[in-house]
Amino acid sequence: MNKNKIDEKLQKTAKGLLESKAVNVVIGWTKGSNPFRMRPVFITKPEDVNKLYFNPHCVQDLAVFLKKPEVKKFGRTGIVVKGCDEKALNTLIQEYQVLRDELKIIGVECMGVIRQNIADKGESNLLETTVYDKCLICDVHTPLIYDYLVESDIPEIKISGSVKPYAKIKELDSMLVEGRDKFWQKEFDKCIKCYACRQVCPLCYCSRCIVEKNMPQWIDTNIEETGNAQWNMIRAYHLSGRCIGCGECERACPVNIPLMLINEKMARDIYEKFGYRSGIDINSKPVFGTFSESDFNEFIK
Amino acid sequence: MSRIGVFVCWCGSNIAGTVDVKKLTEEAAKIPGVVEAVDYKYMCSDPGQNSLRNMIREKNLTGVVLAACSPHMHENTFRKAAVKEGLNPYFVEIANIREQVSWVHEDKERATYKAMDLLKMMVEKVKRDRAIEDVRVPLTKRALVIGGGISGMQAALDIASGGVEVILVEKEPSIGGRMIQLDETFPTLDCSSCIMTPKMVEVSQHPNIKLYTYSEVENVSGYIGNFNVKIKKMTKSVVEKDCTGCGDCWNACPMHKNVKSEFNINLSERTAIYVPFPQAVPLVPVIDRAACLHFKKGGKCVKCYEVCGPKCIDFTIQDEIIEEKVGAIVAATGFDLMDNSLYGEYGYGKYKDVISGLQFERLLSASGPTEGVIKRPSDGKTPQTIVFIQCVGSRDPEKGVPYCSKVCCMYTAKHAKLFSHKVHGSQSYVFYIDIRATGKGYEEFIRDTIEKDGVVYLRGRVSKIYQDRDKLIIRGADTLSGNQVEIAADMVVLATGVIPKKGSDKIAQMLGISYDKYGFFTESHPKLRPAESSTAGIYLAGMAQGPRDIPESVVSGSAAASKILGLFSKSEYEVEGTIAGVNKTTCVGCFYCQRVCAYSAISKEEIKDRNGNVIKVVANVNPGLCTGCGACVNACFSKSIDVKGYMDDQIYAEIRSLAI
Repeated sequence: MNKNKIDEKLQKTAKGLLESKAVNVVIGWTKGSNPFRMRPVFITKPEDVNKLYFNPHCVQDLAVFLKKPEVKKFGRTGIVVKGCDEKALNTLIQEYQVLRDELKIIGVECMGVIRQNIADKGESNLLETTVYDKCLICDVHTPLIYDYLVESDIPEIKISGSVKPYAKIKELDSMLVEGRDKFWQKEFDKCIKCYACRQVCPLCYCSRCIVEKNMPQWIDTNIEETGNAQWNMIRAYHLSGRCIGCGECERACPVNIPLMLINEKMARDIYEKFGYRSGIDINSKPVFGTFSESDFNEFIK
Repeated sequence: MSRIGVFVCWCGSNIAGTVDVKKLTEEAAKIPGVVEAVDYKYMCSDPGQNSLRNMIREKNLTGVVLAACSPHMHENTFRKAAVKEGLNPYFVEIANIREQVSWVHEDKERATYKAMDLLKMMVEKVKRDRAIEDVRVPLTKRALVIGGGISGMQAALDIASGGVEVILVEKEPSIGGRMIQLDETFPTLDCSSCIMTPKMVEVSQHPNIKLYTYSEVENVSGYIGNFNVKIKKMTKSVVEKDCTGCGDCWNACPMHKNVKSEFNINLSERTAIYVPFPQAVPLVPVIDRAACLHFKKGGKCVKCYEVCGPKCIDFTIQDEIIEEKVGAIVAATGFDLMDNSLYGEYGYGKYKDVISGLQFERLLSASGPTEGVIKRPSDGKTPQTIVFIQCVGSRDPEKGVPYCSKVCCMYTAKHAKLFSHKVHGSQSYVFYIDIRATGKGYEEFIRDTIEKDGVVYLRGRVSKIYQDRDKLIIRGADTLSGNQVEIAADMVVLATGVIPKKGSDKIAQMLGISYDKYGFFTESHPKLRPAESSTAGIYLAGMAQGPRDIPESVVSGSAAASKILGLFSKSEYEVEGTIAGVNKTTCVGCFYCQRVCAYSAISKEEIKDRNGNVIKVVANVNPGLCTGCGACVNACFSKSIDVKGYMDDQIYAEIRSLAI
């Protein structure tokens, strides 16, 4: 990979931040085990900044690392984010998990990232058919908030409409409850309770997850139907009005449960019922903790 | 090892009629941990309570479950009985098999089954109960009264006379409220001003009352015993301590025909610097800056300043925010009248001589715009015939409000009576739906009005009013005779419905007290706690709670005062110990709990290491503010908050008991 303008500016920005001690660490992406895989990297020395790269294989949402105690101990942190990842930062700021002043946000303009399973087969072209669904509905190619912006010269993807993002939602909506139930039962059956979805989620930052609470154990830990459904549903509810749709849970899921269908459906419902979109405004009140007299209340019979 | 005693109450036939109490008792005895189960006709009676105490003592019980009525009724009774035997009161649990079973179900078998379920749940809960100590909070022994009408004044005087300092806040330039606008009062016809003004003076001179007029409560924070109040004192543009109330300023004001008098409800004009009425307390004028030439025309007019002897007019005084600490609050914000113009068929606003009842009070009043001579607004002539229409807006779910405004029947009769006294040979007609005269001497008053004063009562509604030369023609129905009637009158008086004071909903939100769909403040219990609001430390008085007459308003003011004096008679206030507690180890400080807390009971607490470095920030519950409602428990993602007495493991065990 030749040094291009994006990487140059990225590295220069990181170097400046580290040299001036504005931050103690910069979280970004570096080359992975093969040319089509990128991996997270933590740069603490100015001389190491040339490890930083950005390209359409940078799929990970690095905001997840901000919850880790080993990252927190660095104090002031620089972080490289795509538009979608940056929404996670906004929610973390809203929820008092990160202090805006402790953070230097290096936003990168992103036109989409290539689905990892396709990239692994050697694909590196940004196409309607190669990127994640979230990229097709993305309206934050430029991050909403940043301290430094790394512009991109990558052209926008041409969208013909041949790929319908999250098309399954419409299909599920049209089903009867029984049909939907059956669909999700089948999906949740696959769950092996590895909690990768939770570990990779930037907003699952509880130091003790509800599933780890015993005395009493509300959620069964064994890999069986009831416990699986309990886990996946409680996670969905805990993320309702909070999930910013980075899609990391679905990407990390080793058994391919289409978790983004749940998240996207939740996000749509929240927007429709409460006019709220998560991760947009750090000063807005999260819908989950807000009561308004105008809230819809059809469910109260 | 749990040793639980179960008591099944029959509540006479209230429970025993629908629930098989014998079977319930037998089954209860089989639940693991239950030492003995008994049933009794009335557990709340002395013998019932004694059997509970005996069993605690003799069987050395660790917990008690009563299958009985709602805990609202007798939880305290049974807790007290348990305490006498040395048991922590929170080891007493109640399965409500009356309100939740026998009163709402008919099928005895299934009702018994449900009662058993509820009972099982409570046995599992009581097994996991921990002793809870009640919380004691310190009390600031000062009170705030919002509203200087008759009920607020009464509350303030009673509290002050009890030796407690009171801050009385009134929005208008004078205290006196609605009552000082009235002429004579039913049913005794004593003059309102005559009985009111001495009280107003007493309020202003009482050493324990600090009076803020022309002021509004802007913010209230804190909790029972410890409220912080911000009062916005609007500028009067007059140095109050120097003002003698001589009146030179308002007599000199050139703006004397420009502003409608609020006090006289638009029946007269007032100046820009004014007192609302001559007996105002305090007798200090205020400058209405929106009307004053000095403020409108860049400081040119200083006529009032020029004539002022003590030179106490100061155009530069600004609004002021005053902070006060109090331990209790009385909300006595009073009432307004409905907008009459909703009733186009009555022509209010269209015909000058169609007026409201309160306007008629001003026409009757010796200190009113006509000095007590009844003159109609259009041409100043004294009317010979007046038609009174009751229930304008009240009891009208379609256009107005469904409730009865309570005072209109009486004041309309009073109006008709006073009219006949003042204008000899005059005639009144009253259109009514029903006559509601339930107070002391009220029915006699109405009869007297009909029989001695010759007022004609017509049962029915008015369909139309229109002007015909200098007469108003009133068309209506007399449903008793079945005839249509048409009356030519000189004036029409509408008995307009009572609604809460404009902005009282905002006050309720600020105080954190509940209000009904009309905006009237809701009592903590409609019958047994009528003086208390839904929030501890905040009490209610007067029409802000709903329509009521003067004696009731006075009583409610005194009731609020007695509650506050009772509260302040102790050195500390005890709060039930069933409040939220945070697991500070697992709390991650997302503060959704703080967002959903309706009582502002949650604050941020820094956890520090031994070197003083902040490790993390977690939620902290203020025991004085927490009501144990549990909203925070639901909002907590990591289940790091529990309400004592309703711990996670208890709820879980209750649910599990149903599956076994």
